[in-house]
Amino acid sequence: MSDKEKQQRKEKRVVKVPSNGRGKDTTGRTKDSISTVSYIDELGHHDDNARLAPTMENTYQMGPYKRFPAKAATDILKDVLTSYLQEEKYEVEWSQKMTKTLCEVIRARMKELMIPRYKIVILVHIGQLTGQSMQISSRCLWDASNDTFASYSFKNSSLFGLATVYAVYFE
Amino acid sequence: MLLEREITSWKRHKAGFVVEDVSTIIKESVEATIGGNAYQHNRVNQWTTSIVEQCLSQLSKLGKPFKYIITCVIMQKNGAGMQTASTCFWDNSTDGSCTVRWENKFVYCIVSVFGLAI
Repeated sequence: MSDKEKQQRKEKRVVKVPSNGRGKDTTGRTKDSISTVSYIDELGHHDDNARLAPTMENTYQMGPYKRFPAKAATDILKDVLTSYLQEEKYEVEWSQKMTKTLCEVIRARMKELMIPRYKIVILVHIGQLTGQSMQISSRCLWDASNDTFASYSFKNSSLFGLATVYAVYFE
Repeated sequence: MLLEREITSWKRHKAGFVVEDVSTIIKESVEATIGGNAYQHNRVNQWTTSIVEQCLSQLSKLGKPFKYIITCVIMQKNGAGMQTASTCFWDNSTDGSCTVRWENKFVYCIVSVFGLAI
């Protein structure tokens, strides 16, 4: 099972870059706006059988035995962002690699927490500070008693970094 | 016997995350909220809230067995650069995400939707 997962993950990585290109389709120009869509295309995506979720037996578990610790997650995010971004200047290629690296690092640290039955989504934004204004907001449709999120933002003289983790319980 | 029943009930559901429907919903909602407007500091909070809430209500109307996470970034066009990355620890066969990057002459808007199967 772990070999299959590794193989799936490898397949996804290899396909990810070109399929984002394939997935991108520029749609119509309405007024003066342009929009692009990107998504991850799985190799087995068009096969209906691959889409069906694996059937699982009932666990008769009413809720999570161990909740996701939002406070510990915030500390981890603060730790990672400060150590990687302190004293750095914004550069295009560096920040492209850095966002991906930060994502991977944060995901590894979250997995180390070993909270079972939780799915994790991590978002990292790194941007240049040039006096522009921006607004980032998010909403979630989930079960508020079991699911939670944590976020931390970091700023230095030339850039800002924002990391957010969403933890969703898998029933 | 129990497994057979579970398998047929899954087949009746349209399992998997359908990107086309989601991206249409997002584009319509952004277009309706921002349209051709310039960045207005006092309005932008309202815009992000309304985009996200509209998307969420349309997605919940689809009636799929999914939990959704929607993020919206609105940024003024100033020549500044920004990078965004996301990574997920989930089940590839059932969960999916879709990101729409929208821009007009004054504003960039990036909306990401993550759908996690229950």
